[in-house]
Amino acid sequence: MSDLATSGTAAEGFSSRLSWRRHGLLGIGAILVSLVLLAALFADFIAPYSPYELNVVNMLQAPSWAHWLGTDELGRDVLSRTLHAARISVEVALVAVTIGLVGGTIVGIISAYFGGIVDLVLMRLMELLFSFPAILLAIILMASLGTNMLNAMIAIGIIFIPGFSRLARAATQAVLRQEYVEAARTIGMSDLRILGREILPNVSTPLLIEAAVAFAYAVLLESALSFLGLGAQPPEPSWGNMLNTGRGFMAQAPWLGIVPGMAMFLCVLGFNLLGDGLRDYLDPHLKD
Amino acid sequence: MDPVRRHRSEAALTLAIEDLVVEFNSGRGVARVVDHVSLSVWPGEIVGLIGESGSGKTLTALSVLGLLPGNARIVTGTIRLSGQSLLDLSEARRRETRGERVAFIPQDALRALNPVLRVDMQVGEPFEIHRHTEWEVAKQKAVELLAAVHLRNPTARAREYPHQYSGGMQQRAMIAMGLALDPQLLIADEPTTALDVTVQAQVLKLLREIRETHGTSILFITHDLGIVAELTDWVYVMYAGAIVEQGSVEQIFQHPSHPYTKALLRATPTIHTVHSELVSIPGHIPLPNELPEGCRFVDRCPVRFERCSEEPPDFEVGAGHTARCWRCEAGP
Amino acid sequence: MLRLIAVRLAAFIPTLIAASIVLFVAINVLPGSAARAALGIDATAQAIARFEAMAGLDRPLYVQYLDWLGKVVQGDFGKSFQNHVPVGPELLNRLPITLELAILAFIVANFIAIPLGAIAAYYHQRPADSGITFLATILGAIPNFWLATLLILIFALRLRVLPAGGYTPLTVDPWRNLSQMIMPALSLGIVSSALLLRIMRASMLEVLTSDYIRTAHAKGAPERVVITRHAMRNALIPFLTVGAVEFGFLFGGVVIIEEIFRLPGIGSLVLVGIINRDYPVLLAAALVITVVVLTVNMLVDIIGSLLDPRQVHSRGSK
Repeated sequence: MSDLATSGTAAEGFSSRLSWRRHGLLGIGAILVSLVLLAALFADFIAPYSPYELNVVNMLQAPSWAHWLGTDELGRDVLSRTLHAARISVEVALVAVTIGLVGGTIVGIISAYFGGIVDLVLMRLMELLFSFPAILLAIILMASLGTNMLNAMIAIGIIFIPGFSRLARAATQAVLRQEYVEAARTIGMSDLRILGREILPNVSTPLLIEAAVAFAYAVLLESALSFLGLGAQPPEPSWGNMLNTGRGFMAQAPWLGIVPGMAMFLCVLGFNLLGDGLRDYLDPHLKD
Repeated sequence: MDPVRRHRSEAALTLAIEDLVVEFNSGRGVARVVDHVSLSVWPGEIVGLIGESGSGKTLTALSVLGLLPGNARIVTGTIRLSGQSLLDLSEARRRETRGERVAFIPQDALRALNPVLRVDMQVGEPFEIHRHTEWEVAKQKAVELLAAVHLRNPTARAREYPHQYSGGMQQRAMIAMGLALDPQLLIADEPTTALDVTVQAQVLKLLREIRETHGTSILFITHDLGIVAELTDWVYVMYAGAIVEQGSVEQIFQHPSHPYTKALLRATPTIHTVHSELVSIPGHIPLPNELPEGCRFVDRCPVRFERCSEEPPDFEVGAGHTARCWRCEAGP
Repeated sequence: MLRLIAVRLAAFIPTLIAASIVLFVAINVLPGSAARAALGIDATAQAIARFEAMAGLDRPLYVQYLDWLGKVVQGDFGKSFQNHVPVGPELLNRLPITLELAILAFIVANFIAIPLGAIAAYYHQRPADSGITFLATILGAIPNFWLATLLILIFALRLRVLPAGGYTPLTVDPWRNLSQMIMPALSLGIVSSALLLRIMRASMLEVLTSDYIRTAHAKGAPERVVITRHAMRNALIPFLTVGAVEFGFLFGGVVIIEEIFRLPGIGSLVLVGIINRDYPVLLAAALVITVVVLTVNMLVDIIGSLLDPRQVHSRGSK
C-alpha cells in the first residue's frame, strides 16, 4: 500500500506542482546562456565602443547614458569590455570542455572496454587527478606550458578529463552489459565499429549534461586564472582581469569590481541552471 | 474466544474503528484507499486483519497511530481507544498515546531499528519519552524487556547494535520496544513475513504469551491465512479498501461466506492440496481509482450475477459473522 | 575499528606519493621550461644547458623526481631559484596561516550547510525547501574572489568595520587576527557551503523517509528528539563521506583568497612561485597544499566511518 502512496506523490508531484518551477529555472538558465552566447558572438556589433579605445580624460566615470556601465581607469567603456570578455570566456570554456570531453570519453571507453589492469590503473589515475584542487593543478600545468590563454584552455581541459572519463566509463559499462554488443562481436564486427555504433550514442546524454555544468566551471576557472594574471593578458578584456584591475579602484569606482563579477556570476548560474534543468528533463533518475 | 462479541458493552472495547474513510490526494485526483471500514478489538483479543497487499490494511493501522503519510488524510470516521476518541485529540495528546497505549510492530525489523543507536537505548526510549525516566534506569528496563522476549544473554545483547542481531532477534527487540509501557493494544503489521518458518513460529508463540500474561490486545495484519488460523480469535477480511467478511476464526475457516475469502482459502496450500492444484485468483486487486461499479470483487468473482452491479450490504451469516455478498442474502 | 583506520592510512601513503608524482610531472610537462623561465625567453641554448646542468635539470626525469622526493622526506624543499634561500623554513612560517584560514572556512561552510540542508529536507516540497535550494544554487554560482571583492567593498571600504587585508598572528593580537580572517573565511566558506548543503539535504531526505524514523514517531517521540537523536547522526554519515572530497576543494581556494587579502600563507606562496617562475618554491607550496587537501579528505572520511556502528562493530555472533 505504501507503494501507492509514494508513487502517487513522486510521479504526480513531479509533473504537476514542481514542474513549473523546474521549467522556470531551466528557462532562466537558457535565457542567461543565450545572452552570454549572443554577447560572445556579436560583441563587435552590439558593443557601443571599442573595448580598447583609450580615453583617459573620461576615466572612472560612473554609469551614465553615454556609458551604461561606466568607464574604467583608462577611460574604456566597461559595457563594451564586458561584452567582449564574454567571447574570451566562451572560447576558453568551449575548447576546454571539448578537450575534457574528448579526452575523458576516450579514457573512459578504453577503461571500460578493456577492463582488468588497464581499467584499474586508468581509474586510479583519474581518481587521483580528481582529488586535486582544480586551480592548483591548472597553475602547475601553466607553469610548465606558459601562462597565456591557449595554455589556460589546455590546462583546464586536462583537469576536466577525469570527470568525463568517469561518466563515459559507467555508460560504456552499462552498454557492454547489453547483449547486442555480444551479438555484434560474434558476427565479427570490429571493436572500433562497435564503439562507434553502439556505445557512443548511448553515452551522449549524461555527457551532455555534464558538459553544461563543466562549461560553468570552466568559465569560473578561466576567470580565476586571468584574475591572477595567468590567463588572458591585458589589453584583452577578460572578466577575470577586469575584476583584478577593478578591485584596485573599488573606493572610487565600485562598478569596476561589481560588473565583471556579476557577468561571471550570471554566466555560471545560467550554465548551472541549464545543466540542472537538462538533467531533470532528460534523466530524472540521475539526480544525486 | 467468545463468538457472541456483540452482546458485550461497546464501551469496554480496546479499539473501535467506525466508518473510517482514508483518501489520498495525488495529481490524478482523489483516491479512496480505506472505504468505510469498521472494526473492533476486545481487551485481550487477538484480531487478524487479512488481505493482499494493496487492500488498505496497513493504512488502516497507520490511521490508528496517526502516522499516515503526508498526502493521505482521514476524511471521516471515528477511532476510539478504550472509549476515548483519538481523532479529536490534538497532535500533542495524540503523540502521548503512541508507544504508551498503542504500539506498532512493523514488518522489517532491521530497517525499523536505528542503526547508530544501541539496542538498549532504543528499547528503553519509550520510558525516557513518556515517563521521563533517566537513561540508566531506562536501559536497565530495556534489559528486562529483552529477557521477557526470551533473548539470550540480554545484558550483553542490550549493548549491541541492531545490525549485530539476527532477523528473529531484531523482531523480538521490536516487540520488546512495543511492550515497554504495557500498552493496551499492539498493532503488528506482518511482523513475521520476513522471517523463516521456525523463527516465525517462535515470534507467534511470543505474541500469544504476551496476550496471556499481560492481557494485551493485538491487531495482527497479515496476508497469511495459516498464521490467522494459528494465532487469531477474530478475523476481518479486507479487499480493495473494505471489509468484505468478518467472523471468529472457526466461522471463517469452517463457513467462509464471501467468494474472496473462499478463494483465499483455496489458494492457501494445505495438506489436502497435495493432490489437487493450487488455485490462484485470476485478475488483480483494483486500484482505488479503478474500482468497479457495485461490488468491488465483481471482476474476479466466480459466482457473480446481476445483483452484483449494486454494492451489497453486510449480511449476517452466523452469530456476529457477516459477509458483504449478495449470495449471502438468504442467511447462513 | 583500528583495522578501519589502518586500512585508510595504508592507502594514504601511496596516494600521497602518486600525488607528488602528478605534481612533478605536471610542472615538467614541457622540458626546459624552468630554465627558460629563470633566464628569460631570449636565453641562448648554451645558457639554458649550463643552467640545467647546474640545477640538475638535465638528468632523466625519474632521477630528478627521486632525488627531490628523497630530499622532501627529509625536510629539504630545495632552494629558491630567485634568491637561493631554502624553501623549507618559509613553508613552516606560512603553514599556520593557511591552516587557520582553512579551518575557519570549513567551520563557516558547515555552519551554513548542515542546518540549512537539514531544514530543507525536513520541509521537503514546501516553500522553505524551494527557497533554500534556490539559495544554494545562487551561492554555488558566485565566484569566491568576486564575493571577496564585494565583502571588501561593503565592510572595509564603506562601513569601515573590517580591515581590507593583512595578517596579524593569533598569538600577537587575537581580535585583530579574527577581524582579518572573517572576510577571507566567509569568501571561501559561503561558496563551498552550496554544494555541501545539497549533499546534506539529500542525505537528510533519505534518512527522514527511513523506517526507523517512523518507529521513533510510533514511540511517541517529539519532533525535536526525532530530528536530533534519530535523524541527524544518520544523515551526517553519508554527508561526511560524500562531502569529504568537497572539503578538499574548499582548501584549493586558498590560493586566490590569500592573494586578495594579502595573507602570507602557502596559497600566496604558490602565486609567488608562478609569477617569479621560481619552480622549487612553486612545487613545494603546491605539494604542501596537496598534502593538506588529501589529509583532510582522509580524516573526514575516517570520521564519517567511525560515526557508523555498522562499520566499527563487526556482525558478531547471532
